[in-house]
Amino acid sequence: MIEVSNLIKEFELTRQQQKELNTKEKIARAVDNISFTCQKGRVFSLLGPNGAGKTTTMRMLSTIFKPTSGSIQIAGIDAIHHSSEARKKIGFLTGSTGLYARLTPDELIDYFAALYQVSKEDRETRKEHLYNLLGMHEFRGKRIGKLSTGMKQKVSICRTMIHDPEVVVFDEPTSGLDVITAENIIQLIRDCKDQGKTVIFSSHIMSEVDLLCDDMAIIHKGKLLYSGTMDDFRSNMQADNLTAEFIRIVQQSHKA
Amino acid sequence: MIFTIFKKELKDTLRDRRTLMMMLVIPILVFPLIMNIFVGVSASYQEEAATKKIKIGIVGTKNSFLANEMNNLPKSLGEKELIYFSDTASMIKELELDSIELAIFPSPSIEQDLLQQKPAQINLYYDATEVGLQERAESYFAVIQEKSKTKRYKELGIDPDKIEPIRVNYQNVASGKEMIGKLAGGMLPYIFIAFGFIGCMYPAIDLFTGEKERGTIETLLTTPVARWQILFGKMGVVVLSGLTAASCALLGLFFSIETMNVIENEEILNIVHSILSPGFIVMLYALLIPLTVFFAGVMIPIAVYAKTFKEAQSIITPLNIVMVLPAMVGFFPGIELNAITACIPVVNIVLSTKELIAGTLDLSLLALSFAVMFGLAVLAVFVSYKRFDKETNVVL
Repeated sequence: MIEVSNLIKEFELTRQQQKELNTKEKIARAVDNISFTCQKGRVFSLLGPNGAGKTTTMRMLSTIFKPTSGSIQIAGIDAIHHSSEARKKIGFLTGSTGLYARLTPDELIDYFAALYQVSKEDRETRKEHLYNLLGMHEFRGKRIGKLSTGMKQKVSICRTMIHDPEVVVFDEPTSGLDVITAENIIQLIRDCKDQGKTVIFSSHIMSEVDLLCDDMAIIHKGKLLYSGTMDDFRSNMQADNLTAEFIRIVQQSHKA
Repeated sequence: MIFTIFKKELKDTLRDRRTLMMMLVIPILVFPLIMNIFVGVSASYQEEAATKKIKIGIVGTKNSFLANEMNNLPKSLGEKELIYFSDTASMIKELELDSIELAIFPSPSIEQDLLQQKPAQINLYYDATEVGLQERAESYFAVIQEKSKTKRYKELGIDPDKIEPIRVNYQNVASGKEMIGKLAGGMLPYIFIAFGFIGCMYPAIDLFTGEKERGTIETLLTTPVARWQILFGKMGVVVLSGLTAASCALLGLFFSIETMNVIENEEILNIVHSILSPGFIVMLYALLIPLTVFFAGVMIPIAVYAKTFKEAQSIITPLNIVMVLPAMVGFFPGIELNAITACIPVVNIVLSTKELIAGTLDLSLLALSFAVMFGLAVLAVFVSYKRFDKETNVVL
């Protein structure tokens, strides 16, 4: 389970950034007092246009960024003050995740397993399971740099799941991927849900959210505009379809 | 965890062709190549200079005093051909056209001046851009001068020993080892510093900026490993690469000395061998390890700050000059290791190594140099940690 309350993230702006944003403010608030809960065995989506604060939120959840204020509980652990402990419970994947091109999938998976302190026995069992599931056996010994995008994404999935995380954080996981490769990710999200894991993923693609999510939140300019179940969202929608409703909510926030 | 990261980064680094070139191949090959070219060119130049027949213009006739003296010079001073001119202007013109290499204009009264025991004037014209011509002319006139002096002393009835009231015998009490240490000892730390810096550069950029650029750092930061452990694991590889590059360069240098007859004097060669004792090597590395850590600690904050490989390279490359320039202090014979120079980073390492080679190292100054470098290395590591811990620096 993930519990986020009153989360704020501010960044100091450099002079260059002040110029680019045409502001004299020295601080920019990327995430502005958001709260939500992701339940175990459910898929939660964080939806928002580009620059809404999705990636910053995901980075705070995965402890890469420290919040300015607020609290984050990951599987019952205070992720701000016990970040190392919380990280053991998290699997993190983005669509733009890079991999070490000079290593083989086997070497990379073994490396991350060692970093997560997975025992050799568990590592081999999980590796075998994931390799079978993803069809990775044929390229496990090849250098990652020579693999196709689809193969690389399978390696990324394997890396994310090797320590069997309780919570999985996906930051725009299908962004920039072709349909077939994106399907691997969608299947992974479904599998995680079936296994009773807590899944949170950020996206700006409404169809993806509709397909996978139980709960959702919409953020724009760092503020939470909507939070609730997918069913509630569908039943209370004022526009003709989900995408139109999403756009309506975002535009309404501009007027407000 | 640090060792796990170190092992992985080392494997990754050893598979990077660019780093391998900078860390192993270039340092090993650079000295054998340079020495090979140097020995070859120098030998052929010496041979050419010794055998080269030069054309010398001289104003006067074949039977003049100076022409006779020139013709009687020993052949060991180099082959020559005398060309006679009736006036200076035409001779100088030929010199400018490169048809002759030296032009000699003796005073018209040279023979009379010599007879009257007056100083006789000779003007010599040459092109100073032509290497070796002045030396050749000096060797000719040294013989003629000596011969004329002896003749004049005899005419005047002077015993040459009596006009030399003081004869100073200069005795060098410095050992051969000390001489090599003080005069050429700056070479060793210079090589180490230059190659140590280059050796650190590519892994530092690749393991920090490169990882940021490739998007791999984000996943590493989501593992339960502390940032300082990640930093130390990576830094270990950067330091090892610097030390490896420097060691390879030194190996290449000694290989060249051993196999290419760069040092022909056997006495000097024996001294060079005696310098390379296990104790010396241990002391050398004790000084150079904190220096390499310092280099790594200077580069890592830049590599962490830079957003692209190019940006990091464009900042670190000029820094190379700033770091390596003080190492050239080792080539100036007058600068000694003292309480002030021992506090100047890089300079202290160069001077300490020189003294170490010469066998004249003051242990208290060595300790001071070591303490300064160790302190700076710790500071550099701390700055690196602070930079690496700043979240906006690590993630694009």
